[in-house]
Amino acid sequence: MIPYTLRRLWQFVPTLAGVVLLVFFLFNWVGGDPAYLLAGKISNPEQIENIRRQLGVDESYPTQLGIFVKQIATADFGASWATNERVSDIFRTRLGPSLTVLVPLLLISTLLGMAAAMLVAYLRGSLTDRAVMIACTVGQSISILVYILIFQYLLAYRLGWFPVQGWGTTFGENLLRYSALAIIVGVAVSLAPDIRLYRTFLLDEIGQDYVRTARAKGMSEGRVMWVHVLRNAAIPIVTNVLLQLPGLLAGAFLIERFFGIPGIGREVILAVERSDFPVIKAVSVYVAIATMVVNLVADLLYRAIDPRVQLK
Amino acid sequence: MRALVLFLGLSVLGANAAGADKILRITFQAAETGFDPARVSDYYSASVIEAIFDPLLTYDYLARPAKLVPNTTEALPQVSADGRTYTLRLRKGIRFADDAAFKSGNRELTAQDYAYSIKRFFDPKYRSPYAFIFTGKIVGLDELAAQAKKTGRFDYEAPVAGLQTPDRYTLVIRLREPDFNFPHVLAFPLVGAVAREAIEAYGEETPSHPVGTGAFRLKRYVRSSKIVLERNPDYRSRVWDFDPGDEPRFRAIAERMRGKRLPVIDGVEISIMEEVQSRWLAFQQGATDIEYQLWELAPSYMTDDGQLKPEFVRRGIQIDRSTDPEIIYLFFNMQDEMVGGFTKEKMALRRAIAMAYNVDDQIRIIRKGQAVRAHYPIPAGVAGHDPRYRISIPYDPPAANALLERYGYSKGPDGYRRQPDGRPLAIRYGSTPTERDRQFDELMKRSLEAIGVRLEIQKERFPELIKLQKECRVMVHHSAWIADYPDGDNFMQLLYGPNTHESNNACYQSKEFDRRYESSRRLPDGPERDRLYHEMTRIMELDTAWLLTDTRIRNALQQPRVIGYTKHPVLHAEWMYVDLASP
Repeated sequence: MIPYTLRRLWQFVPTLAGVVLLVFFLFNWVGGDPAYLLAGKISNPEQIENIRRQLGVDESYPTQLGIFVKQIATADFGASWATNERVSDIFRTRLGPSLTVLVPLLLISTLLGMAAAMLVAYLRGSLTDRAVMIACTVGQSISILVYILIFQYLLAYRLGWFPVQGWGTTFGENLLRYSALAIIVGVAVSLAPDIRLYRTFLLDEIGQDYVRTARAKGMSEGRVMWVHVLRNAAIPIVTNVLLQLPGLLAGAFLIERFFGIPGIGREVILAVERSDFPVIKAVSVYVAIATMVVNLVADLLYRAIDPRVQLK
Repeated sequence: MRALVLFLGLSVLGANAAGADKILRITFQAAETGFDPARVSDYYSASVIEAIFDPLLTYDYLARPAKLVPNTTEALPQVSADGRTYTLRLRKGIRFADDAAFKSGNRELTAQDYAYSIKRFFDPKYRSPYAFIFTGKIVGLDELAAQAKKTGRFDYEAPVAGLQTPDRYTLVIRLREPDFNFPHVLAFPLVGAVAREAIEAYGEETPSHPVGTGAFRLKRYVRSSKIVLERNPDYRSRVWDFDPGDEPRFRAIAERMRGKRLPVIDGVEISIMEEVQSRWLAFQQGATDIEYQLWELAPSYMTDDGQLKPEFVRRGIQIDRSTDPEIIYLFFNMQDEMVGGFTKEKMALRRAIAMAYNVDDQIRIIRKGQAVRAHYPIPAGVAGHDPRYRISIPYDPPAANALLERYGYSKGPDGYRRQPDGRPLAIRYGSTPTERDRQFDELMKRSLEAIGVRLEIQKERFPELIKLQKECRVMVHHSAWIADYPDGDNFMQLLYGPNTHESNNACYQSKEFDRRYESSRRLPDGPERDRLYHEMTRIMELDTAWLLTDTRIRNALQQPRVIGYTKHPVLHAEWMYVDLASP
C-alpha cells in the first residue's frame, strides 16, 4: 500500500501543474484587467500602469507564473487585490461558516438518501418505488434557486420558523438558528439525485447470487439488506460522498448569499466579480489538491471496504 | 442538550436586552471593501467611512440643493481674493475615538491630521482611486507624488508649499489655480481625518481598523457580511438643529428632532444582503429599519402614481422618495470607425439611433417606472441643473428612418441597412452578462430593428468593459454617473476632450465644447456659467455623442419606528441624524 500511495502522491505533481497552467491562462485571457476596476471612477493611463505594477500584472508571463508556483510552494497567496485582506485570513474566517452548513448538510443528505434508497430498492417496482422515483425526477429537475426562494418565503417569512437570513456570534446559534433553513434547502436539493443514484447501486447488488444465497440460508431481510447488500454497495456510495468533499472548500454560494452566511462561497463569487486573482488562485489550487487527496483516500478506502480490491 | 438549549435561551435573552438600545438596522446590497479612506472607491465602504471619519466641511442635512456647512471647522473656509488660498480653522477639543493605537489616550484632532490625510491619497502604496480629486490642484503636492512614484516611498515629512499648518488648528491650502469646487472636495467623505498613529499601528490592516473623530466607531466587523457601529462616546457635542425651510416633510422632521443630541441612536447594524428577496422579506419581517435598494420590487409596494400601497400605509411603513444626483446615458464612441467622427453621415447615424431608442420603455419596463427622464447632463439637486431644459433629440423612429435614407444608409435584400459605401452596417452594443443588461440588450434590439439596423451584442465582464471603454474600444454602451460633489462641473467634465481615457468614455473631442468647458472652469455657479453649460449641451446634442436617458428614483422604505430620516442627495450615512421610537 505504501508504494502505491507514494506513486499516487507523485502523480499529484503533473495534475497540479495542469491546474496551475489552466487557471493562469484562463485568468490572463478571459479574467479581465483588475487595474481598471481598482482605479476607480476617474483614472489616467499612468495610474493604471502604477496599479498594474503594484499588482505585478505588468511582469512577463513566465515571471508571473513563477510567482504563482512560489505561492503554492509556500502556501502564501498574499493579500486580496480588492480588500487587502490576507488570503489565508479569508480561508481562516470563511471556512467555518461554510462548514457549519455543508458538513451537516452532507451527513444528513447522505444518511437520508441511503435510507430512502434502501427502502425503494427493497420495494422495487411497487407503487411506493414508482412514486418516489417520479418525485425524485421532478425534484431533480427544479433549480436550487426555486427551492431557496420558496423555502425562504414559506418557512422563514410566512411561517416564521426560521430567520430570513443572518449569522450570529456563537457556533450553537449559527448551527441551530441560522444554518437550519440553509441545511434543509440543501438536503431537499441533494436528496433526489442521491436517492436515485444509491438506489441504482443497491439494485445492482440485490440481484447478485450472494443475496439469493443469504436469503436461502434463512437470514432476515434486515440483515441481508443492511449487512450484505449495503456493504457491497458501499464503494460507489463512498466514492460519491468523498467526491463531494472538495466542494466544501468552495462553499455553496447561492445558499450563502440568500441566507447571509459569511462563507467561502460568497467570497469566491466576489473574487470572480472583482477579478481578485489571489483569491481565485488559492481556491482553485486548494480545491484541486483536495480533490486529488480525496480521490486517493477513496481508493484506499475501497481496499478497506472490499479486500478483493487490488491497489496497483 | 439541556445546556445547549439553556445557552441558546440566554443568547436570545441577551439579544433582547441589547435591543433596549436604539440600533438602526440597515442593509447593503453589495459587499464593502474596507474602511481606509485613501484606499476605497465603492459606495458602501464610503458610507461607513462617512460615519466614522470627519471631513473638514459637510452638508446641511435638510437644505436643498445641498448646502455646504462647517464640520470640524469653526466656519466655512476663508478664501483669498485670488481664489487660490483656503484658510480653515479647526474647532478645538475634537478628539479621535479611543483606540489602542494611541499610547497615551485618545488625542485631539489637529490640522496636521488633515494635511497627512490629504497626502495619503498620493502615496503610491495605497493606489488611491480618489487621488484625482486632488491631482493638479495643490501647490507642490503633485511634485512630491511624482518623486514618490520614482522612489516607491512617499515622504510625509517633506514640506508641501500648498499644505501648511501654521499652528495646531489652522490649515492653509494653496491651489495652483482658482477652483470653485474645492470646498466640495473638502466635504468629500473620503477626505476625513485619519490619525497617523493609527495608520502606522495597523499598517496593512487599516481597512479593518478605522479610527476617526466621527459620530460612530466600528464595534464588530465580519467582512462582506456584517458591520456593526456604535456611538463614539468621545464624539463632540452636536445638537440636531437644521432649518427645514418651507418643505412640509422637513418641517415635520424638524419638529420631532430639533434639540436632540447627535448621534441620537446608539448604533448601526449593517447586514450585507446581495439578494433582493432576502432584503425584501427581512424588511417585511421587521428585521431591518430602512430599505432603499428595492428598485425591482417597486410594483409590490408602490401604486402606479408613485404612492405607497394602502396595506403598507396601514402598517405605518413610511416612504422617502427622491431622485439620485445621477444621469444615465447612452454614449457613442466618437473614435469608432462605424459610429464615430464628425462627418454628416456619421452624425446622422448617431442621431437616428438616438431617435429610435425608446427611453420611455426603458423607464417603464426596466426601471419599473422608478426613474424620470433626464434632459440635461446635470441632474436635479446639482448646481447648474436647469429644470426647464428639454432635450433636442426626440423619440421618432419614422424620422430616424427618413434620416438614414437621406444619408445613404439604404436597406439591403436582408432588410437591414448598409453603410453609404455599401459595406454592412452593424452596431455593437457593450453589455455585461447580467439579467439587467439582458433587458437593455432586448430594448436596444427592438429599437434598432425599428430602423432596420443590425445589432451585435458585445458581452464582456464588468472589469473588461471598463477597460475597453477607457481604451475607446466600446462602440455603444449605457453608462451612469452619480455626483461625487453637487456641482455641474463633475458632470460636464465627462465630455471634456482631454479626459478621454479617463472619464470621457465617449472619447468625445470637440474644440467648441472644450473651449467653453475651460471657460466654465473659471466661473462660479451662476448665470454666466449656466449659459456656457447650455451651449455645451446643445453642441453635444448636435454631435449626438450621448443620448441622455434617465435618473433613478430612490424609494427609501422605513419601519414605523424610524424618525427623521430623509435621503440626502450627497451624504451617504444619514444615520447620525435619525432617531428610533421606543417599542
